[in-house]
Amino acid sequence: MRRIRRVSLVDIILLAIRVVVAIGVVIGTYATLSAGKLTWEQWRDLLIFGVAQGSVYALIALGYTLVYGVLLMINFAHGDVFMFGGMTAFFVADALGSSGFLDANPIVGMAIVLVVAMVSSAAVAILLERIAYRPLRRAPRLVPLITAIGASLFISNSVRGLYGEQVKAYPQLKILVGKFEIFGVGILKTHVVVIVSALVIMAALYWFVEKTRTGRAMRAISEDKDTAALMGINVDRTISITFAVGGMLAGAAGVLYAIVFNQVHWFMGFLPGIKAFTAAVLGGIGNIIGAMLGGLTLGVLESIGPNLLLSGLGVPSPNQLRDVVAFSVLVLVLIFRPYGILGRPENR
Amino acid sequence: MRGSASQLRRAISLGLITGAVMLYLVAVGIVLAFSARNTITGVVTLGRLMLAAPPLAAGYVVARRGTDLAPRLVAGLLLGAVSGVIVAAALLFASAVDIRHILVRISPPLLAFLAFDQDASIGALLNLALAAALGLIGAVAAVVPSRVRRPAITGVIGVVVISMLEPFLRPRLTDFKLEGVSRFLFTHKGLSIASAIVVFAIFAVGSIAWPRVRARYRARVAAADPGTQATIRGVTLLLLIVFLLALPQIAGSFLSQVLVFVGLYTLLALGLNIVVGYAGLLDLGYVAFYAVGSYLTALLTSPISSLGVGLPFWVALPIVILGAAVTGLFIGAPVLRLRGDYLAIVTLGFGEIARLLFLSDALKPWFGGTQGILGVPPLFGVAKVSVPILGWQLTGPTLTYYPLLFFCVIAAIVATRLKYSRIGRAWNAMREDEDVAQATGVNVTNYKLLAFALGASVGCLGGAVFATHLASVFPGTFNILVSITVLSIIILGGMGSIPGVVVGALALIGLPELLREFAEFKLLVYGGVLVLMMLLRPEGLLPDRVRQQELHEADEEEEPGADGGALTPAEQG
Repeated sequence: MRRIRRVSLVDIILLAIRVVVAIGVVIGTYATLSAGKLTWEQWRDLLIFGVAQGSVYALIALGYTLVYGVLLMINFAHGDVFMFGGMTAFFVADALGSSGFLDANPIVGMAIVLVVAMVSSAAVAILLERIAYRPLRRAPRLVPLITAIGASLFISNSVRGLYGEQVKAYPQLKILVGKFEIFGVGILKTHVVVIVSALVIMAALYWFVEKTRTGRAMRAISEDKDTAALMGINVDRTISITFAVGGMLAGAAGVLYAIVFNQVHWFMGFLPGIKAFTAAVLGGIGNIIGAMLGGLTLGVLESIGPNLLLSGLGVPSPNQLRDVVAFSVLVLVLIFRPYGILGRPENR
Repeated sequence: MRGSASQLRRAISLGLITGAVMLYLVAVGIVLAFSARNTITGVVTLGRLMLAAPPLAAGYVVARRGTDLAPRLVAGLLLGAVSGVIVAAALLFASAVDIRHILVRISPPLLAFLAFDQDASIGALLNLALAAALGLIGAVAAVVPSRVRRPAITGVIGVVVISMLEPFLRPRLTDFKLEGVSRFLFTHKGLSIASAIVVFAIFAVGSIAWPRVRARYRARVAAADPGTQATIRGVTLLLLIVFLLALPQIAGSFLSQVLVFVGLYTLLALGLNIVVGYAGLLDLGYVAFYAVGSYLTALLTSPISSLGVGLPFWVALPIVILGAAVTGLFIGAPVLRLRGDYLAIVTLGFGEIARLLFLSDALKPWFGGTQGILGVPPLFGVAKVSVPILGWQLTGPTLTYYPLLFFCVIAAIVATRLKYSRIGRAWNAMREDEDVAQATGVNVTNYKLLAFALGASVGCLGGAVFATHLASVFPGTFNILVSITVLSIIILGGMGSIPGVVVGALALIGLPELLREFAEFKLLVYGGVLVLMMLLRPEGLLPDRVRQQELHEADEEEEPGADGGALTPAEQG
């Protein structure tokens, strides 16, 4: 149902924004491409980096989407759940790395690190739900959001207090140094590992949600919580499991993020958290495939966007504005297409 | 029998949680940081009190239920003992195994502090005994009647507060020739045993006497004729004004600096309160307006900015406010049709975009990139003002204080007047139910835009004062944490409540400035405040009446009353 509105100031401003953005994109792209600023190889590397980064965003975005699906709330603290997994697993990775175990048995070693990260993130996510969100399930919508903002601040600053403020460098695996040749294209081994692991984890999640009993319970709750309860589904337990699954994905993302960027610190949850939320909305929040797509799209936009659009517009040091591109995507998507790529407009 | 068994089970599980909370407080570093502050010199430090609070409070909670005396006390004791066992076990473990490379705060000084400077095993036993005793004391507090409990708690709070204020009270007492008082009160950065007893007694007696005095005073005012009542109100207002004007002179230059920060955040919170508290729009990008205000002021007034016009502050101010309102409209217009939680995230995005743009090299020619803009002249163009008759010399913070106070008062008056006007009622209706408000004829879009523009103007005013106070602007100041701090102030004080804003700013800005050790844990506490307030008291410390009804309306159908009755169709367009 479309409501008929009179043309107002707001509509004019919205239209103006659309026009300006469209013109900027077209001119910037044209100018960059016609000037031939980057070679084909450089574009390709940016693209691959974008996909690697985007698959990390996608894993985090899945956590937002799962929670939104069952509770219709934005779990603002999810970025910090991600950070907590990466930080906690650092100590295991560090111990394994300095004892030489990680280089001797890279697959087993990485698996251990990954499991530690997933378990610790899941634990935080469950605690978060139990303490901060469950008592507020019937409260007005903004109340749990404010709690979530507080929880985000609380978790990140707790980690700062517990684990210290300094940036921690993950040990580098010897076998991950260098490039793979795939179809004659050299790709950094870390990127390959990250992309492949993310795909495997996402496939596992898809199977879990679509094929298992618990997954069906989750989908039932996202349809209608009260009816699901009447059908004998333990709502509290299923919501806890949803948070746990989201936390596990975030923990895995924490380790993959550390593999790409080689370092973790207490404040790292904020930006990837916001970006992953953007990805979730971009794909259509509550939609699992959408979150994956949104993550990849955002990752690529963020790595290519500044070079493609901004440098063509003559903006100096465009890569400084990477985050501006990501936030602009967030703002524009929420304003013009809040239901995302795969979603449908809500019937209000 | 079964009742007491379940109470004991509850005591054990609460004891486990209490122990975990105590370990968290130790490991996060807050306990050791505060152990440098003596509350009663040689007896107890603030850090020790902080560690004692969880078992005390939990003992009180667990013993509140039940009728028989003995099981309640036993429950408190058991709870304390369980938490003590956890702390003792952790102490022994940490002394045996070095975990400092993971939990960085578990240092030898911390372990020595935890073990009361004894051997680890003796320290563990001491912890166990102490925690059990504290649990028992908490239980006793729950058992005794409230006319005993209340004075005792007030007395303890009084001792803690007075001892915390030591670094500021002592020099000020000396300045006012009250060295005797200061020497009696404080020894070695804390109260002495004797003075602690006196302070405790004063506060305890005060807490008994105060309600009676107040009741008698109120009764007498109520009995007086209207003319006298008006006089009393006038005199009270006058006293308040005189007090606020004289405050920097009483407080001294350091505390004036603190007052300026409190005032600044009060101003920001008054502005955000219009957006969040009145109109119900959660704006997480409020810092953008603060930044715009600062940068516009710097551009217009600094002779060495890229504009280089060097206008006087008071000439630039209207332009700044106008610019801010326009920014508010431009940020507000696109986001108004979004649902509440999306609006929060979009505004957060705008806030970050603003910061990144001010920081970027791309806009360096205008905003100076990371270097910011320097050379912003002080508010009145001169660095020093002397007040004729009183002989006060106003410089630095004391000079900023007065215009800031003026702006805060103006903003508070405007906010109050708006709240009870037609606009305020429209906001109220909109916040409770947007669709219904629209159906009754409230032009939702315009009222939302108005809230955004007003909030933006007040935020900009804060930014303008801030720029002149620091004489420069840097992009690093304007991060998301400013928005969240301001939001925390509003939440703590109570959304929509103006006295609440002042109290919130005093607690969240003033306290960390007074307790320097606290600064490191400021954000941790803000996060905790947001969560706890939403869980326990969503209406805030000093709630707005209407708001309180909204949040607790489950009990009964509320009457429309004065606030709902006057909603007439607003004009369109």
